[in-house]
Amino acid sequence: MIRPRHRAFSLGRIVAITGNTLTELTRLKVFYVLLLFALVLIGTSIFMAQLTFQQEFQVVKDIALGAMSIFTSLLAVVTTARLLPQEIEDRTIYTILAKPVPRVEYLLGKLLGVLLLLALSIIAMGALFFIVLYLREQTVLYETTRQMSTAPPEQMADALRAVRASAFSAGLLPGIAIIYVKACLLASLTLFVSTFATTTVFTTVVMVFVYFIGHLQGIAREYWLQNNSAGWITKSLLALVALLFPDLQLFNRTDDIIAGNAIPLALFLKTATLGLFYTGFYLLLAWSLFFRKEL
Amino acid sequence: MSEPAVAVIGVTKIFPVPFQRRSVVALRDLTLRVSPGQIYGLLGPNGSGKSTTLKIILGLVPPTKGRAEIFGKDSNLVASREAVGFLPESPYFHKYLTGEETLRFHGKLGGLRGAALKNRVEELLALVGLTNARKRRLGGYSKGMLQRIGLAQALVHEPALVVLDEPTAGVDPAGAGEIRDLILHLKERGITVLLSSHLLGQVQEICDRVGILANGVLVREGALDDLLGIENQTELVLENASPELLGEIETLASKRGARVLDRRRPRTSLERVFLEATESPREQTRRDTP
Ligand SMILES: Nc1ncnc2c1ncn2[C@@H]1O[C@H](COP(=O)(O)OP(=O)(O)O)[C@@H](O)[C@H]1O
Ligand SMILES: [Mg+2]
Repeated sequence: MIRPRHRAFSLGRIVAITGNTLTELTRLKVFYVLLLFALVLIGTSIFMAQLTFQQEFQVVKDIALGAMSIFTSLLAVVTTARLLPQEIEDRTIYTILAKPVPRVEYLLGKLLGVLLLLALSIIAMGALFFIVLYLREQTVLYETTRQMSTAPPEQMADALRAVRASAFSAGLLPGIAIIYVKACLLASLTLFVSTFATTTVFTTVVMVFVYFIGHLQGIAREYWLQNNSAGWITKSLLALVALLFPDLQLFNRTDDIIAGNAIPLALFLKTATLGLFYTGFYLLLAWSLFFRKEL
Repeated sequence: MSEPAVAVIGVTKIFPVPFQRRSVVALRDLTLRVSPGQIYGLLGPNGSGKSTTLKIILGLVPPTKGRAEIFGKDSNLVASREAVGFLPESPYFHKYLTGEETLRFHGKLGGLRGAALKNRVEELLALVGLTNARKRRLGGYSKGMLQRIGLAQALVHEPALVVLDEPTAGVDPAGAGEIRDLILHLKERGITVLLSSHLLGQVQEICDRVGILANGVLVREGALDDLLGIENQTELVLENASPELLGEIETLASKRGARVLDRRRPRTSLERVFLEATESPREQTRRDTP
């Protein structure tokens, strides 16, 4: 066979690994998580019959975004943690790396597979969320029209506008995007931990710790800085902690959105960039350990 | 001599044991050469370091000391893996993929695309006799079928060398025979084969050269004929020989200064009896069913 020269980097190979990872993951029935999400949504809609419509939309958004955040984070950690151990058990890590595939392509392909899965999941959850929100909105609109059938037209128009305004808002989209970025970051960090962890359980436990420390560290830091003047040692120590335990609280922008305040564009971009930076950084860390790892 | 297909040069491998002070010496100063076109058998009991040797050759495990080369290229280089295919010990692959998907995936990693990939997958499915099982998921494959799909994925990018770790372990005699035939077929096509095994009988039939590992040390190495042949003896198998003829042969031999050492009825191997007894009903179904 006439062989083209070996390519040090090949997008085709990465795409192959990504596709393979995605296929493997989708066939693992991880989408049951989505079913759970649907149940949570439907459950909340049922029990809220007695609230005013503003309250109701508020609660639906609150619960939907909260559930999306938890479910994608969970999905990110659980699917990534078992990625490498499973490949070792199936021996596919050997057949893949015994082909002319650089290890960085392997890691990148695997991570992209997870990120794609997370994207599909969050799109599905988002769609479900918007459908539920839309259906509730239509019901409330219908009821309002019926109740106000004798009121003057302007008053009715105002009422309907109020209903529409408190249901869907475009501000929800950047909020969902940030939930996704946070999940990407967690997946990448999980991949890094799994390059030196010996078991899936260890990786998962470490990630649970990281998750809680990540959410608490912002508060702890503020408290610390209030009571201590920050010398350079403290500052670099805090920076190091922030590097290994990302401040996950930064990615919780949903409270504002639910309250109806859109995230300023600059803040959105800053948060998203930070998240992607972390994702890339952890991938590099993972590679630095995986590069010479014994398999 | 031409460039060796595989060269292992002064390799020592020490595995640290986590949380303990001691460590395991898996290989000690191993030097090994496989010439192109040969079938080389790496033999040894479990834990003697066969898999470790093969993984070092493939760059999956870095050696503590020494180095390995494939056709002159250092095993640490990704490009050295252009020319080699690997079948790991007891592979399972992705259970959710079908045989065909598995081959397509590995073909893409080997740089194949489009029509070339499609043709190659067809060709290999036919070669390893899994054409009818192509659409089935590997979760339902038998051990022998898994080994054959594993062999096919190792061959997908037409490497000049294939490395097989225990290719017949856990496979029944019929399946092992098929894998053996495939390996001989590869040799006919000029492909170098390096295989490891602890099943000596199977190796004996096909290897040109063997190396015997014990506790990470290569204790014996050489061409199979040299290792097994007894220089000054010849075996003669006759059919329908009368006792008179045998007597004549014996006299003739002693006249010419030779001596008949032993006279016995050759026995067929247990394996052959097993194969003959189980062959007929399996013949139609054997290749594609577990
Ligand atoms: N990753 C590893 N960590 C620690 N010890 C290992 C590792 N891999 C192999 N060993 C040890 O190295 C020795 C050789 O193993 P191996 O090459 O798998 O033998 P074989 O394939 O001949 O059965 C064994 O003692 C085994 O326990
Ligand atoms: Mg072994």
